[in-house]
Amino acid sequence: MRGLCSRRMGSPGEGGAVEPMISVRGLWKVYGHRAERIVGSPEADLPRRELEARTGCVVAMRDIDLDVAPGEVFVVMGLSGSGKSTLVRCLTRLIEPTAGTVTIGGVDVTAATDAQLLDIRRHRVSMVFQHFGLLPHRTLVDNVAFGLELQGADKRTRRATAASTLELVGLHGMGASKPHQLSGGQQQRVGLARALATDPDILLFDEPFSALDPLIRREMQDEVIRLRRDVRTTMVFITHDLGEALRLGDRIAIMRDGRFVQVGTPAEVVLEPADDYVRNFVRDVPRSHVVPVAAIMDPLGEGPYAGDVAAETKVRDIVARVAVSEHPLRVVDADGAAVGCVDRIAVLSVIANEDL
Amino acid sequence: MAVATASTATATAPTFGAAASRRWTTPTLVFVALVAIAVAVDPDVPDWLDVGLQTWVRDRYMWTVQNSNTSWLFTGVFNPLSDAIAWCVESVQWVLRGLRYPGVLALTGAIGWMTGGVRAAVSGVLAVLGVAVLGVWDPAMVTLSIMLTAVAIALLIGVPLGIWTARSDRAERVVRTFLDTAQVMPAFVYLIPVTIFFGIRYPPAVVATVVYAVPPAVRLTSLGLRQVPTVMNEVGESFGCTSWQQLVKVQLPMARRTLLLGLNQVIMMAFAIVVIASLLGADDLGNLVLKGLQKNDVGAAFVPGLAIVLLAVALDRITTGERSASSRPPLVRLPSVAWRTGALIGLGTVVVATLVAKVTDHTALPGALTVDISGSINDAVGWVQDNIRKDVPIIGGTESINDVLVADVLEPLREFLVWLPWLLIVVTTAIVAYLSKGWRLAAGCALCLAAIGTMGDIPGGEGGRTQLWDLAMDTLSQVLVAIVVSVAIALPLGIWAGRADRVQRVLRPFLDTAQVMPQFVYLIPVLFLFGAGRGAGVVASVIYAVPPCIRLTSLGLREVPIAPREAAISFGATRRQELVKVQLPLAFRAIMLGINQTILMVLATVIIAALVGAGALGLVAYEGFAKPIQKIGQSAAAGLSIVGLAIVLDRITQAWGTGPDRSRRE
Repeated sequence: MRGLCSRRMGSPGEGGAVEPMISVRGLWKVYGHRAERIVGSPEADLPRRELEARTGCVVAMRDIDLDVAPGEVFVVMGLSGSGKSTLVRCLTRLIEPTAGTVTIGGVDVTAATDAQLLDIRRHRVSMVFQHFGLLPHRTLVDNVAFGLELQGADKRTRRATAASTLELVGLHGMGASKPHQLSGGQQQRVGLARALATDPDILLFDEPFSALDPLIRREMQDEVIRLRRDVRTTMVFITHDLGEALRLGDRIAIMRDGRFVQVGTPAEVVLEPADDYVRNFVRDVPRSHVVPVAAIMDPLGEGPYAGDVAAETKVRDIVARVAVSEHPLRVVDADGAAVGCVDRIAVLSVIANEDL
Repeated sequence: MAVATASTATATAPTFGAAASRRWTTPTLVFVALVAIAVAVDPDVPDWLDVGLQTWVRDRYMWTVQNSNTSWLFTGVFNPLSDAIAWCVESVQWVLRGLRYPGVLALTGAIGWMTGGVRAAVSGVLAVLGVAVLGVWDPAMVTLSIMLTAVAIALLIGVPLGIWTARSDRAERVVRTFLDTAQVMPAFVYLIPVTIFFGIRYPPAVVATVVYAVPPAVRLTSLGLRQVPTVMNEVGESFGCTSWQQLVKVQLPMARRTLLLGLNQVIMMAFAIVVIASLLGADDLGNLVLKGLQKNDVGAAFVPGLAIVLLAVALDRITTGERSASSRPPLVRLPSVAWRTGALIGLGTVVVATLVAKVTDHTALPGALTVDISGSINDAVGWVQDNIRKDVPIIGGTESINDVLVADVLEPLREFLVWLPWLLIVVTTAIVAYLSKGWRLAAGCALCLAAIGTMGDIPGGEGGRTQLWDLAMDTLSQVLVAIVVSVAIALPLGIWAGRADRVQRVLRPFLDTAQVMPQFVYLIPVLFLFGAGRGAGVVASVIYAVPPCIRLTSLGLREVPIAPREAAISFGATRRQELVKVQLPLAFRAIMLGINQTILMVLATVIIAALVGAGALGLVAYEGFAKPIQKIGQSAAAGLSIVGLAIVLDRITQAWGTGPDRSRRE
């Protein structure tokens, strides 16, 4: 849980002070014959079935705009068929988008030459796959070293890097094993290590933990949170699990029928769902799990205070502390400056409203 | 009669797919009209339809005979090519002779040990030793050298082609057309052009073998690469593989198993045909078999035949060791150091064995150790002929079976097919094809059959000339009977083997042996049991076609996922209900594939069957080979007719496995 507490507040993508790491504008993916004619046409708004019957085309993803700031964890959540996997594959053109632009670290990926594209894939972006995608004929070390090998690193360097990366994900000394000897959770640790080994600016996760059982899944989420704190890589994380999205995301995009229904912080999504679809989704999420104390704090009063609490701490994490003290807690921001206070009444009202 | 045929065809519509029932009326009207026309016009193929193919082929052939030493086509292309191939074969032979038999034995053992462990090594060595004991070592090495050269060339051509077709759908479509044609085309058909262009002895044998062995190389390479899961390709791409790296680092290693299976298939295909290619006059095992068959000396044919089987078994064992071993290949589990040491030990053994042989001057196994079994084989054959051919209680003996088959089944069917108006057969086939798949297939099938009508006639038969169409109907009658008998035997056995492990265990050695046996070898026992004739031809086809059908049916049943079967059992299905309601429907495609393979196998034996007196198209095609100057034209026409029949039967049964055309997106 420590990892959660270190998360920054708000949405770093907004404000425009920092140049976004990933910037997507008007991205479309349409399957079918002469797919480009569908983009932006009135037909694109037809229901899926009707569009297919009329034109033979299927719109997987429509008009996506997206900015991800450096160091941000951006989660795309949606049910199967919502287009989320298409989106993440279009970012490095594993799937060729039909229209729109993707810019990664200032390079226009959609206009990149083959050489530029290879360079981006080899050095800047790594991906973790749903079913691990480990190469069964290679040992773990050679799997992890795969990206380095493609970069052209010499054997000694890549072995050393791979071994230390394996250690980082908790698979110390297992480098000579083959993937089939590992459990699912361990295999995905290798997948993670393989992605980390090239020291990329951006990690893409395509439903990485959906094939794992719940306990292991939680463990792996903790792993990502830990990495996030230590490495501070930009991440785009695809999932169909709302809990996972809320746990990991700085911002969450809810995707449906190929478009973003809502983009916001976990608190925004839970507290102010954009439509009934999102509302249905988040109905069972306890408010106190996503609401940060900053959202419910009162103006700074006279004191005395029972102690300090970081502004992005979730309400449920201070329940115990406000319960044992008469006094409110002082809320401090990332720089340690006091910005407000929060007392029992405020905490209780969040919890009391939970089931409404 | 015509009405009856048509109505049975339309009555089967619902089984072939719902697509037919939706648009019902127009096709029915068209069919009725077509049938009416077909019945009304001339029941025989009209003479004006002859396009003169036979003369054209003969003229081309005469041209090549006259210009073989002057035209650039020969001096610049084919002659150097032939010389290069001959040089390759002779080099391989030189190496094999240099190794002498101890060296070859050691090499077999070493390869077997490295690919499949001790078991593969031992069975490989024993099989090769068997060849030596039979006393046919030299011709066996000739066969082996032709085959190894052909396999190497087939891989050099097939693997890159396979990679190309795996990566481009367009290339796949183009190449597949050629592969399909090569596969349904009986080997004899292209032996003729091959002799024209490549002369005699080794080069044509190698080229014919290559033509036959390339399709599995391409197919399995392509299949292996296409079977690589999408996610693995994405992994490679997402980490920045170039196209070449993707191939070498991801796809080829992932496809390793299928590629090795491909290697095995290529070798087995090459073996099946290398023997036939020996008709071109190479001094190898196949030639010995042929001489024995021609003299009706079963013993003399049997010994080299057995040697062929033993060689095939040896090569099969040392190339499939990995597949038959546990799911984890031994090669992968051994650390690389041990692998290298193993290779060194193997190499060392080969060198030592060769040196010992050189010092003691052993070339072939000493005469004292070889056994001539042809005499005792002939005695056994004599006994069998006296006791099994006639007067066996109940079944009446093989000769009686033969008589019944010919007199009561083959002959009436042939007469019926010849009697039917030829256009009616074309139209009926087209209707079946339409119901099976769609207009395109119907048009294709009709064209193929009509093309047989354009082949003209040949001398012989009643009235001095016989239409090739009538011969084609003769062949068709044999093929149909062979198919029906094969399926009737193979399907129940396959289903039984698919459900009972014990049956599978009992059948398996037979199926395995049958798979490595070249089709030629089947003729030997068939000939002495059934005597020459059409019955023997059908029996040979059946024996050849049954094993793959059993294998595929059983495999199909076994590959039905456990979940639906468990669901059925949990709802209280009996074994029978489980079979009928779950397993058979789910295994339908696999079973259809099995039947399709059966048909291809039967067609592949059409010309071979001619060697045991089946006559018809096969005989005509074969004769051209024996006397090219007089008969090459009619031989080519007969060969093409066989191909036409093959394509029609193949495509229609393939459609049964895949169903009618659906919407375009599929």
